[in-house]
Amino acid sequence: MNHSKDTVVNNVLWNRLISVCEEQANALLRTAFGAIVREAGDLSAGVFNSRGEMLAQAVTGTPGHVNTMAASVSAILNILPADTLVPGDVLVTNDPWIGAGHVFDFVVVSPAFFNGKIVGYLASTSHIVDVGGLGWSAEGRTVYEEGVTIPVMHLRRGDKLNEDLLSVVTANSRVPHEARGDILSLLTSNDTGIDRLVDLMREYTLATLDGISDFIFSRSAAATRTALEKVPAGTYQNSLQLDGYDAAIELQATMEIGGGLVSVDLAGSSAALERGINCPLNYTAAYAAFGIRALLTPDIPNNHASLAAVRITAPPNLIVSAERPAAVSARHVVGQALPDLVLGCLEKALPGKVIAESSGALWTIALSGAGPSKFTSLNVALGGMGARSNSDGLSTTAFPSGVGAVPVEAAEIAAPLIYHSKEFVADSGGAGQFRGGLSQQIVIGSRIDEDISLSAAAFERLNAGPAGRQGGKAGAAGYVAISDGTTITDKGTYVIPRGETLILRTPGGGGFGDPKKRKKEAVTHDVSHGLISEESADKNYLLVNEESTNETI
Amino acid sequence: MLRIAIDIGGTFTDVVAQTSEGFTSAKVLTQPTQPEVGAMDGVQRLLKKLSKNVADISDVVHGTTLATNALIERRGAKTAFVTTAGFRDVLEMRYEKRFDQYALDIEFPEPIVPRLLRFGLDERILADGSVLKAPSIDDINNIAHALKQQNVEAVAIGFLHSYKNLSHEKLVAQRLSDLLDKQVTICLSAEVAGEIREYERFSTVCANAYVRPLMSRYLDKLLGQLNEQGFKGSFLMMLSDGALTTLENALRFPIRLVEGGPAGGVALAAQVATEIGSAKTLSLDVGGTTAKICFIENGTPKTARRFEIGRAWKGLKGSGLPVRVPTVELVEIGAGGGSIATVDALQRLRVGPQSASAVPGPAAYAQGGTDATLTDAHITLGNLDPEGFANGMIQLQPLLARNAVAEHIQAPLAFDTAESAASGIVELANETLANAARVHGIELGLDIASFDLLVSGGGGGLHGARIAEKLGIKRVLVPRNAGVGSAVGFLHSPVAFKSALSVLEPLSEIDSDQLAQRLTELENSVRSVVADAVPSEWIEVRVNAELRYQGQGLELSFELSPDAGFSEALVHLENKFRNRYQEIYGFVLENIAVELVALSVNAKDTRTPTSSPTFIPNTVRLCPKNTRSIHNVQTGDSGEYRVVPRDAVGCQVMVGPIVIPEAQTTTLVPSGWSVVGSTHGHLIMSRTNA
Repeated sequence: MNHSKDTVVNNVLWNRLISVCEEQANALLRTAFGAIVREAGDLSAGVFNSRGEMLAQAVTGTPGHVNTMAASVSAILNILPADTLVPGDVLVTNDPWIGAGHVFDFVVVSPAFFNGKIVGYLASTSHIVDVGGLGWSAEGRTVYEEGVTIPVMHLRRGDKLNEDLLSVVTANSRVPHEARGDILSLLTSNDTGIDRLVDLMREYTLATLDGISDFIFSRSAAATRTALEKVPAGTYQNSLQLDGYDAAIELQATMEIGGGLVSVDLAGSSAALERGINCPLNYTAAYAAFGIRALLTPDIPNNHASLAAVRITAPPNLIVSAERPAAVSARHVVGQALPDLVLGCLEKALPGKVIAESSGALWTIALSGAGPSKFTSLNVALGGMGARSNSDGLSTTAFPSGVGAVPVEAAEIAAPLIYHSKEFVADSGGAGQFRGGLSQQIVIGSRIDEDISLSAAAFERLNAGPAGRQGGKAGAAGYVAISDGTTITDKGTYVIPRGETLILRTPGGGGFGDPKKRKKEAVTHDVSHGLISEESADKNYLLVNEESTNETI
Repeated sequence: MLRIAIDIGGTFTDVVAQTSEGFTSAKVLTQPTQPEVGAMDGVQRLLKKLSKNVADISDVVHGTTLATNALIERRGAKTAFVTTAGFRDVLEMRYEKRFDQYALDIEFPEPIVPRLLRFGLDERILADGSVLKAPSIDDINNIAHALKQQNVEAVAIGFLHSYKNLSHEKLVAQRLSDLLDKQVTICLSAEVAGEIREYERFSTVCANAYVRPLMSRYLDKLLGQLNEQGFKGSFLMMLSDGALTTLENALRFPIRLVEGGPAGGVALAAQVATEIGSAKTLSLDVGGTTAKICFIENGTPKTARRFEIGRAWKGLKGSGLPVRVPTVELVEIGAGGGSIATVDALQRLRVGPQSASAVPGPAAYAQGGTDATLTDAHITLGNLDPEGFANGMIQLQPLLARNAVAEHIQAPLAFDTAESAASGIVELANETLANAARVHGIELGLDIASFDLLVSGGGGGLHGARIAEKLGIKRVLVPRNAGVGSAVGFLHSPVAFKSALSVLEPLSEIDSDQLAQRLTELENSVRSVVADAVPSEWIEVRVNAELRYQGQGLELSFELSPDAGFSEALVHLENKFRNRYQEIYGFVLENIAVELVALSVNAKDTRTPTSSPTFIPNTVRLCPKNTRSIHNVQTGDSGEYRVVPRDAVGCQVMVGPIVIPEAQTTTLVPSGWSVVGSTHGHLIMSRTNA
């Protein structure tokens, strides 16, 4: 009787812990500055036990934050140990190797005291608009050029805010007030989380979180193990080429599956570069684990135990395991390619069950005024998702990132820009029995007839499109140009002269399965809706009948 | 006085008549292809009961989910969308974001207007409202030609930044209405939802155009039949935000009717709250497939300006069709009587969101359902009496309920009895509902423990006491007439209309004269909508301003005082905002501009809606000495509950454990609680152990 009653109580507690984090994340979302953070949800929140192990996280978080944060808390506590902390203390860092992989992301950790003892921790991460240095750019040679790094330290000591630290950040930031506001909102969202956690413990007369920790971890570990044991044991390899900064880079993975564990070693990947697309291992691990978990254990919540079953390693100083002082601003270019890399290994273990490659790294559109008017505008251009084993890929949808695009009207209100068009690109989805998701073309110019500066740091997959699977074709490669004839081929900085426009065409998703097996109605539908051309229908698919409707416009 | 309310839902049509003597109701089946037939049938039955004629009806108040269902089932008109060239795919790209991080198999709903009926027109208005490119007449003519060839029944027009300047939308609408068949419906995004964010505005105007022909045909028929029989009264429609509006206005903006039914339920809750004198009320309606939560303060339900229709992917937030319409702020939770209890891969017990619905229904209905539902758990515990369930329309089979619970929950989780497994299911449902209320309350910045809990729907009375305990709430209210609650709610609703204006400029940079003029125009148009049904001396117009720190998402709303001059009012707003922000977050942000996001205007009939007739409490009637054995969720033991008919609960306090069965619902008053009847005939339960 007691056992089953505990089960119900523990169920309830687990759900309640998740809503503690949700509430924490919502508070953050509302108070974050910058449309990109708000629209994108580029943040995360989680609750940890007294050993610094993650118990639950908000569903809203993006994988790069959530999975890095799971490791951040214990790393931070190694530097400022629990026994030195007093109620009210709050710790902070934006160290890329401890936090979320670049200096923009601040991790704030607050101990939760209950009856005079630390019972757990609340942590949250979000993207701060500007912390100095080069700003949003891949042109840094070292992390020192990328902005100010705050080592692990107190953001609040007891009830006293560390104004010295905040003044260092504001002195370095191009948008000091917003930066200060964002850091403070991380702190208050944790405070909210602590209040809820303590309420919860009172309500259920819990002295510690040990019992619920054991319950969550044992259930998660067992379910993860069961799911992983269904995958044939063995060693699986895959490699993937990216454009790199200005020369191709190679990502290589060797995956071992067996005994309810998945380990991936990334030896053989290219060496770290003197440019800001390097990825620290913590961020690499976050996205690689995400890809594996999304395919194999999508229903098991993220926590210490479910993440422990997936191990990611790499020899030091590769592009996936860059060490200080490597430049890491645009680390997501490499990081967000890792799900495709590990899914390619899994395709060998589970042929025919794995989503085709997707457009990968978020294309950050980082524009700023290069004329008399100063402004900065951040948005993202999203490509197609890979086709699934039983359905078409989603068009213009971020994957693996969880963010969305800023509406055109909001972007144009925030900066003197004109979006001239934003439309699907026909034939960009890889052909297949299931078609890859379509990409889009976006054309942007100045509203005030002035030069615009562009960072091309995140325009990836310009050389080759995402690969298909099981006979499906690759999606279209991306394309970026300026209307004066300049084609963008590296990740440097460009100027869009007044009167000219920027043309962005994102990559399309890979196709799945032999295109000849695609249902005729599906091909006819795609042609009549202008999603594929008649030529592509002729070339890739079984011939369409004459009566297919012509596109109207 | 003879007022009639008609609530057409997916399954049932409720008709309620209000006379000076009180309410009379009839329930008939909805006829999906001819909803007006069921409605008229219900009206005739009531009139016969009352010995009255259609000509005697003073008012008809109508709410319906027909528009919602047409959208969910994609049964609307063949609709085209004319938009800024280069942006026709905005409607299909949506937010360009997955609504579930880990599920690789999600699907988005099909756009209402397929790509080949989406036309780009070479025109452009900029963010400041200035014109970059005016549309050419030739281009419009070409589109008109294509629309004719396609035989479209409805056209939605949505251009970028039309919320700032709608001249292009107007121009194109005018030209198209000259060229197209008179039957073709034309809707403008700036009129239907004049707010920034192109996807949501476009989605709203397309949905509006899509359902308008159907709604207009249907309402023509209903009104035609009423008129044929001599109807001379007023005809009003229930909007999603709990306000009534004229037929003409409802037909312009049928998308605003979508949540009319649930809004009626909330209106009733608000009325009951007022009658009982509950200043802070949490309304919880536990239905067959979902439960709905709404906070009500001083008799006024919380409202929002965005709603999502038909969350098609496992009910997940983000998987439906967003529309920007004023609506009562309902949170819908996938936990109702038909919700299925399961054990997931982590050996966790879950309840919902999957539902056995009405068909096959809970296992106990013996209609082929085998899953263990929440209703089956209640039957296993003895909470529901198998005799006389749903007026005897359904004969419950308790053994089937028990078997389902034993097989699906008791065995896999090793509970020692089916009763303890069933109490686990009920407890988890209680927790899910309580937690949704808790989270929503926190989002709204409310202290839930200071609220009363008002429960309705078939399952409300079964869960009220336990949920109240979880939320620290001390009083639970169970209204009369809960079975036809929405229709009764219509009769308590005022005529009103709301509209909003996007501004998005820092307070310090606003051209106050120009904005004052735009606001006056909006005020006049909103007032004129209400003036069609309300004498002008009764109309009250209120303006609310939404503010935020520039760049932040958190918006706080303040009423604009009607007396001060407009530019002075703007100055006060800034201080009010900074003070309130400090109260909430404990710090101010210096040197960051405060931005005026939007102004919203609400015009309302100030006359108090009619009140329920006073109910004479009957304490004389003897309670039958009847008890029922019910398993206690918390202690795990069974106990005897006294069975007391609803009519027997009077002004004398009775102490739990009591069970109060009715035709449509059952109320549990556990030990630690007492119950008393209010003067209006509602039940008031109070905690005696708090």
